[in-house]
Amino acid sequence: MGEALLEIKGLTKRFGGLAAVNNVSFRVAEGSISGLIGPNGAGKTTIFNLITGVYKVTEGEILYQGRPIHNQEPFRIASAGVTRTFQNIRLFKNLSVFDNVYTACHLSARYGLWSALLRLPGFAREERQMVAKTRELLAIMGLEDRQDVSANNLPYGLQRRLEITRALALDPKLLLLDEPAAGMNPDETEQLMRLIGEIRQRFQLSVLVIEHHMDLIMGICDHIHVLNFGCTLADGSADAVANDPKVVEAYLGAEEEAK
Amino acid sequence: MEYIQGIAVLIGINLIAVLGLSILTGFTGLFSFGHGGFMAIGAYVAAIVSSRLGLPGPLAFPAAILAGALAAGVTSVFIGKLTLNLKGDYFCIATMGFGEAIRVILNNIDYVGGARGWANLPQLTTWWVVLVLDVVCVVLVWNLINSRHGRNMVAVREEELAAQMAGVNVFRSKMTALVVSAALAGVAGALLGNYIQFLRPTMFNMAKSTDLTIMVIFGGLGSISGSIAGTILLVSLPEVFRNFAQWRLVIYGLAVIVIMVGRPQGLMGGVELTPSGIRKLLAARRARARLEAELKAAEQGGN
Amino acid sequence: MDQFLQQLVNGLSIGSIYALMAVGYSLVYSIMNFSNFAHGSVIMLGAYFGFYSLTALGVPFSAAFGIAIFGTAAIAVIIERLAYKPLRDRRAPFLYFIITAMGASIFIDNSVIATIGPTPKTFPPDLLPAFLQGAPLEWGALSVGRIDLTIFVVAAICLAVLMVFIDFTKLGKAIQATAYNMKASALMGINPDFVIILVFAIGGGLAGVAGVLYGMKYQVFPQMSAITLKSFIAAVFGGLGSLPGALLGSLLLALIETFVSGYLSTQYRDLFAFIILIAMLVVRPSGIMGKDAEDKA
Repeated sequence: MGEALLEIKGLTKRFGGLAAVNNVSFRVAEGSISGLIGPNGAGKTTIFNLITGVYKVTEGEILYQGRPIHNQEPFRIASAGVTRTFQNIRLFKNLSVFDNVYTACHLSARYGLWSALLRLPGFAREERQMVAKTRELLAIMGLEDRQDVSANNLPYGLQRRLEITRALALDPKLLLLDEPAAGMNPDETEQLMRLIGEIRQRFQLSVLVIEHHMDLIMGICDHIHVLNFGCTLADGSADAVANDPKVVEAYLGAEEEAK
Repeated sequence: MEYIQGIAVLIGINLIAVLGLSILTGFTGLFSFGHGGFMAIGAYVAAIVSSRLGLPGPLAFPAAILAGALAAGVTSVFIGKLTLNLKGDYFCIATMGFGEAIRVILNNIDYVGGARGWANLPQLTTWWVVLVLDVVCVVLVWNLINSRHGRNMVAVREEELAAQMAGVNVFRSKMTALVVSAALAGVAGALLGNYIQFLRPTMFNMAKSTDLTIMVIFGGLGSISGSIAGTILLVSLPEVFRNFAQWRLVIYGLAVIVIMVGRPQGLMGGVELTPSGIRKLLAARRARARLEAELKAAEQGGN
Repeated sequence: MDQFLQQLVNGLSIGSIYALMAVGYSLVYSIMNFSNFAHGSVIMLGAYFGFYSLTALGVPFSAAFGIAIFGTAAIAVIIERLAYKPLRDRRAPFLYFIITAMGASIFIDNSVIATIGPTPKTFPPDLLPAFLQGAPLEWGALSVGRIDLTIFVVAAICLAVLMVFIDFTKLGKAIQATAYNMKASALMGINPDFVIILVFAIGGGLAGVAGVLYGMKYQVFPQMSAITLKSFIAAVFGGLGSLPGALLGSLLLALIETFVSGYLSTQYRDLFAFIILIAMLVVRPSGIMGKDAEDKA
């Protein structure tokens, strides 16, 4: 593992009087797969929203590659290499699988508006490059024979996979996955685990995962941060966290449910 | 024959404005109540340039059209800067106010005829001019939609938040759509004034704006060929059903509701009537059928 | 000074009408998070209901008022059920709602034009109640038209009743809760569908009152729906979604318009609403009393 790709320092987010995130600090090491877990409402998705610029930070800092990215425009953060998937899938529903990814390739092209309007020389070449990139991504993620299907017609598991594929189209260095295994059975979760590992390897990126499926978290995460009511409960390796009494207590209910 | 040519010219003129609005509403998902205002700006600026500035013959009309488009486009930048970062309702209300404001302002400028109107404008718009401009505009709009800029606009329409997360500068996309649509409306206005040779502010009130939007909706949001079909249909229908003039809008209003509730894809169903568009449609259908068959087989296999 | 007071009275009168329109619109907005652009047509129908109840049906004035209110409340709910609910169920994008509202508005406005005709109608003075006939009331140099006074009083009563209803009754609290968070309120046992119908009915009823009052002060004509632009601007001015804001914004807008009209020129009066809107958007988009105007996650 390497340096900290992402560093969260004293992060606090208040909505009115309520602190959804309260003085949270942790690091995501480069090349690692980190987990962010906690009961519902613990503030996990809020942290994702803060990292990706959807919310403004009340207090604290978010450093990416050593530079502050908090409070910046979401699209700038995404182009810097931080992309995400959503808890409630937000695909471009009326577009085909191909178009969902093709659209997201837009940063790979350089041509400007006038080039597009007048079809100047660079345009065709860059479009071809984007098409090739899309085909490649779809092939890697096993979606190429579904590429013409409308996104809203895909089965649930493939929709989640498509969202990840779209997030990969931006050549991210940090991939944020928000409950990627939601609604999946053990087999699918197993597949997903392997997929995330392969993605990390193949694309040389770091992953931060929010999940409730403990087998997935324990199976692939190098490092876990546990939240409860917006505050840090525990932080460490998978084993350390699993044996932490505070975590066990907070999760006792969740464990029973998962069984 | 001349009668039909007249209708054809009107279709051609409205088409340019409708294409613009199609980009804004159909592809980017923004609703404007005030595009009549942009048409008005284009029309009046063009009229001033073509009849009051004393430019040499062949230069006058192109300069007028360009000036009209530019004026409309620049004005839209102001509206856009103020409202496109806010919730959609603000943009709608601002465009509504804008359309009305332009009308009031024009009503009070005697230099351009005020409320009574400006007559005896030179007839510079010919059938050929309209045809050429139509072709140019369709090509430009097509090129825009089938580029990363156009795809980003569609992404904004589909899922604005996800588009942002995918690195799309949503504000810039919306602004581009607005300025292009305003400029095209300006071109249409410029052509109109110099065709019917008369301009009056009430020609560009909210009824005009909603008329244009209805053409986009009938043709189907997100389809250029749909916008063309919608324009042809809705500009020629009133001529066909002259007797029912009063009921025309009643039927349109009802039709809009029925379309949005029942078949939002409109006439064309979001499909483009081009070889690639039809290929895409067929491919999607085939892929879906295959997918459903596979899922069914998997289900039965499991039993 | 006298002219100033006179203008003040005029401003408050038209401001009261704007307020009724704006509050009805803001109420629906606060629950549904969408602008009902068909609101203006409902107002127009209210005026026609009132007019025809009075003239064709020959009922006494208060009954005509009542018919107008119930009529518009019903129409508003019908529009909601037939046009908006199907879209809501399908979780259609925001754009579809606006388009449908536009369609409803065009349908209603032009139905009236096609059937009744575009000629404006005037409330016959002799059919109005006795206290509305007769000369304007005089207090020193101040002359207050009886209709203006009535408008102000009726509007004040309606809005006061609404405020009491929203703040102090159980149903009112249910509306507040739903406006704050529809899903959470549903989990608490508040039926969102019922609240939606209630809110549209109230908004529609207010529109009916506004329509009749406007029709009495000026005239009844199918293009009345255009006046709602002022109320939308007033609502934005005061803060979109805030009811006190809608009231405040309406009064301020009307006063500014009246003073501009009185001291500067009548021709640019309608322009001022737009100028105020632009100024608001530049300085403080959330309005005088509004919360965040920006898109949230």
